This record gives sequence, structure tokens and C-alpha cells, in this order.
Amino acid sequence: MSKRQVAMVMDLNKCIGCQTCTVACKTLWTRREGMEHMLWNTVNTQPGSGTPHGFESMGGGFRDGVAQPGKRPGVEDFGKAWKFNHEEVFFGGKGEISLAADGGKHGKGPNWDEDQGGGEFPNSHYFYLPRICNHCTHPACLEACPRKAISKREDNGIVLIDEDRCKGYRFCQEACPYKKIYYNEVEEVSQKCIFCFPRIDEGVTTACSRQCPGRVRFVGYLDDPEGPIWKLVTKHKVALPLHAEYGTQPNVFYVPPLSPPKIDDEGNPTDEPRIPTEYLVSLFGDGVHDALKTLERERERNKRGEKTELMDLLIARKWLDMFGPFQKHPRDAARNRPIPQNQQKSRAPQQQAAIRFYTKEEFKKGGRE
Amino acid sequence: MRTRRVKNLAPMLDPVDPGWASVPVEQVSMMSTPLAMQPTAYIRNSWEGREYGRITALEIASVHDGKQWALRASWRGVSPAGKDFPDSLAIALPVRGKPVLALMGAVDAPIHFLRWQANKAGAVSQIATGIGSSAPGPVLACSAQARAEGDRWQVVISRLLGGGTDVAPLVAGHKTGIGFAVWAGGNDERGGIKAFSIDWAELALDA
Repeated sequence: MSKRQVAMVMDLNKCIGCQTCTVACKTLWTRREGMEHMLWNTVNTQPGSGTPHGFESMGGGFRDGVAQPGKRPGVEDFGKAWKFNHEEVFFGGKGEISLAADGGKHGKGPNWDEDQGGGEFPNSHYFYLPRICNHCTHPACLEACPRKAISKREDNGIVLIDEDRCKGYRFCQEACPYKKIYYNEVEEVSQKCIFCFPRIDEGVTTACSRQCPGRVRFVGYLDDPEGPIWKLVTKHKVALPLHAEYGTQPNVFYVPPLSPPKIDDEGNPTDEPRIPTEYLVSLFGDGVHDALKTLERERERNKRGEKTELMDLLIARKWLDMFGPFQKHPRDAARNRPIPQNQQKSRAPQQQAAIRFYTKEEFKKGGRE
Repeated sequence: MRTRRVKNLAPMLDPVDPGWASVPVEQVSMMSTPLAMQPTAYIRNSWEGREYGRITALEIASVHDGKQWALRASWRGVSPAGKDFPDSLAIALPVRGKPVLALMGAVDAPIHFLRWQANKAGAVSQIATGIGSSAPGPVLACSAQARAEGDRWQVVISRLLGGGTDVAPLVAGHKTGIGFAVWAGGNDERGGIKAFSIDWAELALDA
């Protein structure tokens, strides 16, 4: 049991599906060889099949405390990193050529059902669901690993894979019910979101949360009564875990989305929300009913000009307040750690623009030669 | 298991070298590792009722030339291509003390493994001091060559005779124990999900 637990709350009412979080994470952490298909942070459209495709029916987790068998998602399930024929299109000298992924023989990408959603016009609906590793209190991955390669940090509860101990058996992939563990076929180890622990250790929030233009993500300690997480999860009870029934006690929570009224056959608004509450319950549990009521009530109070702590918090007027004790600017944290001399050479602009995947050794040097 | 001395071992590193025809073959019985001994509840639960460790016997032949030792193992079970896990073979030799093979050794009684796997060239040296503890082993000259003929693997693993820190002693004219493990990659076998030789067999090297 960890002494403290860092956690994240994502307000689904504000996520615009821009994938800035995805790119922030990808740029920072998954640029090594073998990581091409890895998106430790994903944003999918709901209702939808998610990433990996159909992850909710792949098993794993616990039922009544008993570890459940699960499926091991492969690269095709996650969605491959397609290769495009940009060179051929722009510089190939052929007039009649189109941009094609994997020579036109591509399979599914990681976000293949983006913006499809559910329902029929005029009640069609969707919302975005960002996901990272849940850094669970009862991590199925950790308990499944025969190598003891997975640990949960005592000081903040972040779940990490020791790549030196990992042998690529992938029991963790099977056991994780959220299917948020990837396999690196080049390095032959499992890899996943690390909750930006080197940043957290320096008082800097995660890249996905800091880069989010929608101010969707709150970060802090689960037990900090002054922080946003405790207020949203415990005090106001508007932030709920995804699929709590998986039994792993996830530490990423979601504020469920409100939606406009459903329209009846005559075109009149009804009392029902357009996003079916039963669907939200299937994701976030029975707490959805009370959470939505609380959100509606506090929103009305806010409209009336009354002071409401919850709305002030969710509106996030003070951006840095979203990050609890992790408000430091990454630049200031970096100043405390001088860059080694051999890494001080800045890269040429054309190299900065180039997208390529580094070897593990290059990555350790920050991608510098 | 007798290890005969031969004059020229080098060609016998190839598993189909005719020199192996005159070397007696011994059967080593194998069985699946007990499910109850799998180290995590997830593995025990997810493999309950699933068959694994179906290789019931290995055919073993062994020679040395006074400097180098070579062992040829043969068994039926070549997995189709494109599977997540490779077919693999490991030879276990006790380093010191009296390690329990089924427990993969102990801190004061390590086991030295030479491991071959179908998706990689050569052999890997590993050391284990308990279940789930295998780690990179001592550096020593070792090799592996494999041939798949139909559904039969023939694999020759070799290493230099002698010993050293964490190198299991193999000395001409002396005896030691030997154990085996085989993974059927096509059946998702990896880690403790495998067939193993239960206990040590005696390996006697001719003087």
C-alpha cells in the first residue's frame, strides 16, 4: 500500500477531442523504436469501441477479488502507426497519385471511430473519453507479473514497469482490464504510461494535463483536502472511476458529461438527456445519477450568481490550481538540473522537425547525437 | 546420461551432422510444471483447464572433446510462424549446493541455464536463484544451432568445459546434474508455463 496516491480527474464536459494530450505524451515518452504504435494517452469517441478496439470485452481485472483471464491486445488491436506515401505524392512527379496509408492496405488506426458516436438524428450524440494508465490501487498488472517487474511507488502510488526485469511475457497485458499496456517488439518489454513521474518528482504536473487546451485534467493527491482531486472525488462526488467493476480501484476519475435534452418525435425537447444516462452508468457506475444531479444543481446556482466551489473548480479559472502541488513550470524544474555537457548541443532546425524514432541509447541522451 | 568423448566436436555443432548418428540417445521424461507452483494468481487462474507442457519426452545425446561440450536435444513440436512467443529450450546445470530444479534454485544454490529460443541466434547464459528470478548469467562461450524438420526440433547447445563464478562446473571425468525445460511458443508458453524434466538427471562426462 502506497503512503499517498497521485490521481487525475478528467472533466468530460470540457474535452474537445483535440488530441493535444496524446501528442504531448507521444512527443515526450514514446519516440523509441518499437513504440511507433504506442499512445500511452488515447482519446476516443464514446459510444465507441475504444483503444484497443473492443477493450471492454478483453477481460482481465478482478471479480470478487479473483484475478480474471484476459486477452492480450496486439498491435493490430491498438491500431498501427500508418506509413504514408508523402514523398511519392509531393515529390514523385506523378500527376495522378493519392495519399495512402500503408500502400492502401492499412488496417484500423488507433482512433478509427472518431466522432461517430451513437444515437439517431436528431438525438445523435457523442463525447470524448481520454484514457491513460489508471495507476490502480489494486493493479492487476502488478499482481500478474511473475517477474516482479511491476511496482507501485510507495510515495505516490505510480505504477511502473522495470524494463530490466521485464521479460516480455505479457501477462500484464492480459491482466490489465483497461488494456493500457503496450508491448515493444524491438526492446521485447512491456511499456505503459508512467504518469510523467520524473516531472511529478520535480513538482511539475503531467504533460497531458499541462498541455490540455480545454483545462480538462486535474492532478493531485487523492487525500489532499486542499487539492482538486479530493474535492471532486470525495467531497462533491462528481468524479467517478471508469468501470469500477473491474476491481482494480483505478485512480483516474471522470466527471460525466451533461448533454442537451433529447428531442421527441415532434421535435420538442424532453426531460431526458441526449446522452443516455444508462450508457454513462455502464461506464462510470451508479454514481452517475447523483453526479449529474449535483452538476446540474451547481450549474443553476452558478447561473443565479451564487458562489459555488464546485463550478469554480470545474471552470478552472485559475489554471494552475488544477494541478495541486504540481504547479511548477517544467522549465524551472529543468533549471534545477543542469543539462549534461554532452547534451547541450542544440539540434539543427531540420533535425528538430524530423519525426523519427530513437534507439533506447539515443533516447537516454534526449534524442541528441 | 553418459557424455562420450569425441575427437572432433566442431562439426557436431550442426544438429544434423552425421557424427550424431553414432552417439547413443537417451530419453528424458518431461511433464508440465504444476499449476499450483505458478507464481501469480493471474497465471494460475488463466491457465486453469488449459493444456500446456505437452512435450512428454526429449531425446538427448551428449558429447565432449575435452574442451567443449555439446548436447543435442530433439523433440516433436515446431510451432507455426507468426506466434507471439518462440519455441524454446533451456538446459539447467547446478552451480553449487543442491538446488531444487523445480524451484529454479535458491540464493545459496543457483542454477545456470543455457537457453535457446527459435526467434534468436545462439544461446543465452542465465542464472536463477528461485522462481521468477532468472537474470543474465555469467559470460561464457556458448552457442546453439537448431534445425526444424517437419514438426521435430533438433537443437545443439554447446559450451566450454570448466567452471567459474556462477558457471556450472562441467569437468571431464566428473558427474553433475542436468535438467531441461521446453516451451511450446505456439501455445503461448512462456515463463513458468512449460514442460520440465522434474528432477536432475545424472550427467557423466567421460574422462
